[in-house]
Amino acid sequence: MIEAALYLTGRSLVNATRRRVARLRQPKYLIGLVVGALYFYWFFFRPRRGGGLGAVASPGGEIVAVGLLSTLVLLKWLFGSAETPFTFSLAETQYLFTAPLTRRQVIDFKLLRSQLPLFFSALLSALVFSGGQVSGLRLFRVVGLWLVYSTLQLHYAGASLLWASLTQQGVTGWRRRLGTLVWWSLRRALPGIVSAFQDGSTQGYAALTSVMHSGPLGVLLWPLEALVAPLVAASPVAFASRLPAALLVLAVHYVWVVRSTLAFEEAAVEHAAKVARRVEAARQGRWGERTIRARQSTGPIRLRLAPTGGPAGAILWKNAVGATRDLRPRTLVLLVALVIAGSMTLASGPLRALDLVAVMLLGLGAIALVLGPLTARCDLRQDFEMLDVLKGYPVHGRDVVRGEVAAPVTLIGLVVWSCLLGAFAATASRPGPELPSLGDRLALLVAALPATAAVLLVLVLVQNAAVLLFPAWVSVGRDRAVGLEATGQRILMTAASLVALLVALVPATIAGGIAGVGAHAVGLSALWAVALGILVASGVVVFEGAMAVSFLGGVFDRIDPAGTGTG
Amino acid sequence: MIEVQGLTKSYGSVAAVCDLSFSVAPGEVLGLVGPNGAGKTTTLRSLAGIVRPGGGTIRVGGHDMERDPVAAKRVLAFMPDEPHLFDYLTVEEHLRFTARLYQVTDVERRLPALLQELELSEKAKALPGELSRGMKQKLVIGCGLLHDPTALLFDEPLTGLDPSGIRRMKQTIRERARQGAAVVLSSHLLHLVEEICTRVLIMQRGRKVALGTIEEILTERPDLRGRSLEDIFLTLTGT
Repeated sequence: MIEAALYLTGRSLVNATRRRVARLRQPKYLIGLVVGALYFYWFFFRPRRGGGLGAVASPGGEIVAVGLLSTLVLLKWLFGSAETPFTFSLAETQYLFTAPLTRRQVIDFKLLRSQLPLFFSALLSALVFSGGQVSGLRLFRVVGLWLVYSTLQLHYAGASLLWASLTQQGVTGWRRRLGTLVWWSLRRALPGIVSAFQDGSTQGYAALTSVMHSGPLGVLLWPLEALVAPLVAASPVAFASRLPAALLVLAVHYVWVVRSTLAFEEAAVEHAAKVARRVEAARQGRWGERTIRARQSTGPIRLRLAPTGGPAGAILWKNAVGATRDLRPRTLVLLVALVIAGSMTLASGPLRALDLVAVMLLGLGAIALVLGPLTARCDLRQDFEMLDVLKGYPVHGRDVVRGEVAAPVTLIGLVVWSCLLGAFAATASRPGPELPSLGDRLALLVAALPATAAVLLVLVLVQNAAVLLFPAWVSVGRDRAVGLEATGQRILMTAASLVALLVALVPATIAGGIAGVGAHAVGLSALWAVALGILVASGVVVFEGAMAVSFLGGVFDRIDPAGTGTG
Repeated sequence: MIEVQGLTKSYGSVAAVCDLSFSVAPGEVLGLVGPNGAGKTTTLRSLAGIVRPGGGTIRVGGHDMERDPVAAKRVLAFMPDEPHLFDYLTVEEHLRFTARLYQVTDVERRLPALLQELELSEKAKALPGELSRGMKQKLVIGCGLLHDPTALLFDEPLTGLDPSGIRRMKQTIRERARQGAAVVLSSHLLHLVEEICTRVLIMQRGRKVALGTIEEILTERPDLRGRSLEDIFLTLTGT
């Protein structure tokens, strides 16, 4: 069994690596890899201040680590799912559950298979928190983290099996009783610990340590302390001396899980299918999608398509329906409520709640404007894998491109404009001297509405132009490339978007500048002259956009689905 | 009416279709057969206006596919072997969307009957992910027939259908031909071709090997007389 698991893991790793190395012959992957590697180096290894993970070894570090681990374990016991202890892929359920293997062998297989991802998780965690300082001790930290992750995995599996077993036997109410016990314990212990921390961190940690080491809690937490001990060891010798106890905890967990008599196979098969559906939905850009049944029962926002009209409108409708299918009115209500509640909580002194509402809305609008065109892929990035279907329709390419581009521009534009209008409305009655006059604010709004739409148009157009002009460079449809190369490609695309935006803005700025200066010269106030200039500039950008759509429509008409070689 | 003259299509140095000419008159069902890689799907995709031929002309309903693709596609329907559907549109939304693109204005009135005919009434609000392969196939066919096309292209139309679906599909093809549509049907199922096609075009390595009714083909190759279409096909293609 061990040989089979090692064979599968080894061959999967070798084949995946070989495929990635082979595709480096294509410039898009090679350049992407170089850019991605530079980014990786910058993110993880650039010189930074501070010791990163080394801080764990500081006084109180161990107790904090044990506290975090305890919280994770407690949350699992209180709220964790009893559905299935192991997550199998569909292929694993198909091959393993039908193979002549014992239950223990299947678990062994699964545990062995998961060690490589767990090791990489430990390595990545250590890199993130180490500030790029790679040393022998840091490598011990990786091993320590690996131990913690593996034991946690087993602990979660054991807890799920136990919960499922209790449920099968009709034993209920355990979570409630456990919750009550935790709440009662916290109420007794917390005031003393908080009070000690108010006297100083040393006293606080001492109080925390005392509570965690005394009575039944001390016994309960010993395995966690033993597990965390190698991770926070200050030297290799300390690491080696602490390792046996941690390994003992791991071994006990292993025995606990494999000795469980509960059959998990059926639940695992069902879970594998569910996970596969979620992965599929995520690949299609529908993150966090619930099950189909749940989605239908809640009733999405409905958009109707008029039976007559231009084809671009139909494509816009199609993409808007897809993008908003999982959007619920209650989500919007919740968002608005959160903004208002947050503002009311944070408001103090001269800063009114409505001022904060305006600030939050402007922030949300800015995020939507910058990140929206990258993340809302309800355009050719989504539809390009349906190129055969799109090209079969009796529609000119320019209409297809217009409809495809219009979808994200309309949807994101609605969000951005709602934020701008909301911010304006929130401050409309503000008389204070800190803000411009109402008239000036109106001028800013008049300028911001077309300006944001113009910027949005350019950013979305660039993304769609890339799909049509450089299909091999862009990841379209369900298959999202992963890895360093894909990260590099995305960085390059973002840079290209910014360059295109700057280029598009040159003639617009010139035209807008002339209009603004001219308007000011004939007596218009400075702010209204700027607003007029921006309006003219936006018009120029829209004209450029129309030209680009026409050009891209021609490209769409000429493109051969067989020769796109999308990446 | 479908008219193909000197159709050529290459992918790099590989010639997928070479100087292919044929025509399909209204009411006729042309069976397109050939071994894997013969160029059948490329031919159909060229006829549908999905790929641009390297040479030659294609006319559908009198419209040149190169010069006026929109008019040509308006009278055409292509049913691919794999039912491609938009993952995020329901069954009903697919029909509405297709109707709008093909300017079918009475879709609202026809929708209930159409859904019933496709046996998809209960799945009207379902997304493609909730449909079986056969249901998806039915939906693609429903979308394709919505605008009453006069030229129909089928690529392996029976794949994934249950026995009653197969029977209905055969009836649909025959019925459309009887109503005057020109039909091209590509399939590896030679008994299907023999059963419903009025003429056969046998292709190999992108070239025409034989074209005509089975009787006409046998007149040219009397040595094959008395043998099944399968034997004729295997002999002519040398496979």
